[in-house]
Amino acid sequence: MAVSPLIPNPASHAAKTTDATRESEVNGSERSPYKHNMKYSSHVTNEREITEQLNDDVRHKYIKDKRLGEGTYAVVFLGHLRTDPSSFVAIKKIKVNAEYKDGLSMDAIREVKYLQELSHLNIIALHDVFSSKDQNLNLVLEYLPRGDLEMLIKDTNIHYGVADIKAWMGMLARGVWFCHENFILHRDIKPNNLLIAADGEVKLADFGLARSFADPYLNMTHQVITRWYRPPELLFGARQYSGVVDIWSMGMVFAELLLRVPFVAGNTDLDQITKICEAFGTPNEDNWPGVTKLPNYLPADPNHVVPLQGRDFFLRQFPTAGPVGADLLMSMCNLDPRKRSTACRVLQHGWWTTDPTPTDKKNLPRKIDGVKKMGADLTRRGGEIEDSTFKNAARQLNFTAARD
Amino acid sequence: MIEDDFYRTSSQYRLWSFTAASLQAQRATTNAVASDRVRAAIRRAQEARRSATSSATGTAVPEVEGSTSTSTSTNHPAKAEEKPIECLTPEEEQQTVSYYCEQIIQLGEAYKPPLPTIVRATAIQYLRRFYLTNSPMTYHPKQIMPCALFLATKTDNYYMSLRQFADGVPGDTTAEDIIAPEFVVMQSLRFTFDVRHPFRGLEGGIMELQALAAGQGQPAPHLAATQTPESLQRGLLALPSSSKTITDRIARAHHTTREILKSAAQITDVYFLFTPAQIWLAALMLADRPLAEYYLDTKLGFPQSSVQEAEAADGLAALRPKLLRTLSDCAAMLQAYKPLASDPEQMKTLRRIIGKKLYHCQNPEKVNLGGAGQKRIPAAALASSAAAAAAAAATPTGGVDSGASESEMERLAKKRKLETAAESSSGSKDIFGGELVMQRTKER
Repeated sequence: MAVSPLIPNPASHAAKTTDATRESEVNGSERSPYKHNMKYSSHVTNEREITEQLNDDVRHKYIKDKRLGEGTYAVVFLGHLRTDPSSFVAIKKIKVNAEYKDGLSMDAIREVKYLQELSHLNIIALHDVFSSKDQNLNLVLEYLPRGDLEMLIKDTNIHYGVADIKAWMGMLARGVWFCHENFILHRDIKPNNLLIAADGEVKLADFGLARSFADPYLNMTHQVITRWYRPPELLFGARQYSGVVDIWSMGMVFAELLLRVPFVAGNTDLDQITKICEAFGTPNEDNWPGVTKLPNYLPADPNHVVPLQGRDFFLRQFPTAGPVGADLLMSMCNLDPRKRSTACRVLQHGWWTTDPTPTDKKNLPRKIDGVKKMGADLTRRGGEIEDSTFKNAARQLNFTAARD
Repeated sequence: MIEDDFYRTSSQYRLWSFTAASLQAQRATTNAVASDRVRAAIRRAQEARRSATSSATGTAVPEVEGSTSTSTSTNHPAKAEEKPIECLTPEEEQQTVSYYCEQIIQLGEAYKPPLPTIVRATAIQYLRRFYLTNSPMTYHPKQIMPCALFLATKTDNYYMSLRQFADGVPGDTTAEDIIAPEFVVMQSLRFTFDVRHPFRGLEGGIMELQALAAGQGQPAPHLAATQTPESLQRGLLALPSSSKTITDRIARAHHTTREILKSAAQITDVYFLFTPAQIWLAALMLADRPLAEYYLDTKLGFPQSSVQEAEAADGLAALRPKLLRTLSDCAAMLQAYKPLASDPEQMKTLRRIIGKKLYHCQNPEKVNLGGAGQKRIPAAALASSAAAAAAAAATPTGGVDSGASESEMERLAKKRKLETAAESSSGSKDIFGGELVMQRTKER
């Protein structure tokens, strides 16, 4: 690994000409004023700034192919390395939002900031970032052609068992553990942010809502994590929280993998709290000290108090998980965030080493064509909800039609 | 060693860590490249204006076979502009940047409430990273500084709107001025926004010391055989001290260290040369050396330990002198820092550098980054249009309509030339000529 940035020599005239030619290749049909201009300025010493050269070098590593998906926030293209046409990448081009006057949006900044720091088998790899001439940001992401976990959960033609779930959950747990070890909260874990690579590996994607752990006593926003996967402390408006918010989401994904439907799916934030209480028990000062002091805490209806659910409930509700699996799920779904398992404790749980052993990733059930789904997943803005995915998908089809 | 492995994957280590020699080489390269550009750009601007003047006054140079732009300059000598341009040295560039880093601290203080230390520190590191590959001669730090600070509010989760932010910037700087260089800044940061600061490490170390003082400090796992919470507490209390209580002492060390991290650690090169842990430990050394050394002893084992222990802790014993050498190098660098603003001698030098020298060697093709009320500046188009302007100006046929093959760039170049001409004839005193015409970015 290089210790310092490699600074190329100022481009010679010959190199520049090649660059200009390459540029037009990258941009396909887009006309390049830069190239066009070359013949007028060729006798002028007009090298690019050092950082522009570095950026050009990165851009020229890749060739953009077809469009995979388009959302309001980004367009995703299939691309490949110039030197190796078989090495695919997904190029996510962040759109410039004309209404947003404050420069690059927070979602894009977060995504770039955190993916630049995280390099792990179970986290989508950010190979490079470059800007195109029109100053759009392009993220060169790992190509993940097998769709996402949501697709597998919903597809009734696909059959999977507890060994498969164990494999998927194991990969998810390792990815989340790595984020937390790096002091980063993901804050949007849900099945359609868990993409699948060609070899079956699960990759955590979409860091548009991520942030680093706040210093003690500093507030964070509670308006994060898609509702069905949002933990009770955030629904109650907690402004100080830890990595276990992601663990709750992981628990919900685990439950959904087992049931093949979302486990607690509220229509509103209030409804979500109600459903969580019905499922896991009503929080009070005994089972969760301090809960009544949270800003949006609502006292439960005295006629409708559900006792805190124990191991029996989880076994009954999720028989396929087995007793050890149910115990792990229970530890991830503890209402009191202080008692909920951390990512590290999740990884130390006995379930991973209990029979059955996790399915080898190459034998996991898979969809043949998940490319379109990847396109839709990657164009979504952080925290965007379900139905916009379908809108994007529809739009994507229209685009395909228009081009044909 | 796992923590070191994590740090090695950070962008701070991968892209922004240097040896003293590589850092110096980097700055020398940047300075050399920028100086060449500045000279070339100023020459182009002069030539453009000269030929523009000639066409404006109607005394166009007759087109002669093989005539070059040098013949133009002999016809219109502009003596004042032709003396060699004196560029900044790498050292002067560095002083300039340091001055604007101090300005970030001041600017952050002016907000109500003041911007968090971490935001200011991140902004300073952005500015310092920016000027590793850019020269103040190319992009004036007074333009880049507010943009770096605003970007830091975004990347460090201290969200405020650009409008709100702009209100806090003194002078007539508009929101558009602030955001205009954002893209150039992000590109120069190579799209890495994470800065690893030493502040959190310091807080952790102080908490450990407080626990030790309270007799609740747990010995490190490899030292558990020889150390107990009680022995650690006794050792800490036995340190020579001028403080009334150990709590006072730790609080004082904490405060002093933090101040060093907020000032000296930001303005010097320590972030480029050392890790966050080395930085805060070095700062603690300056604040209270016996305390810092004792803290290290609790990790590395006490040097006066018995023979058996020394054998057991062989690797650590070897590590100690190496670590101490690194820490004292870092501490020396921190200690050498003197705030520029409070030193009249340094300020005098700075006024000469920034006020005079930088004014004359500012690259004229980059000056109006924030001008024209434009949100996003296409850097490439900007450079191209400047080149085209120069090309058109240097070509004798530039003033004649060349018809169908005329490119957009050339058209712009001509427009610029006409404007420059108009300005020159109206007796403008702007030594760099008129503003560049910039191509409006297509927003998509």
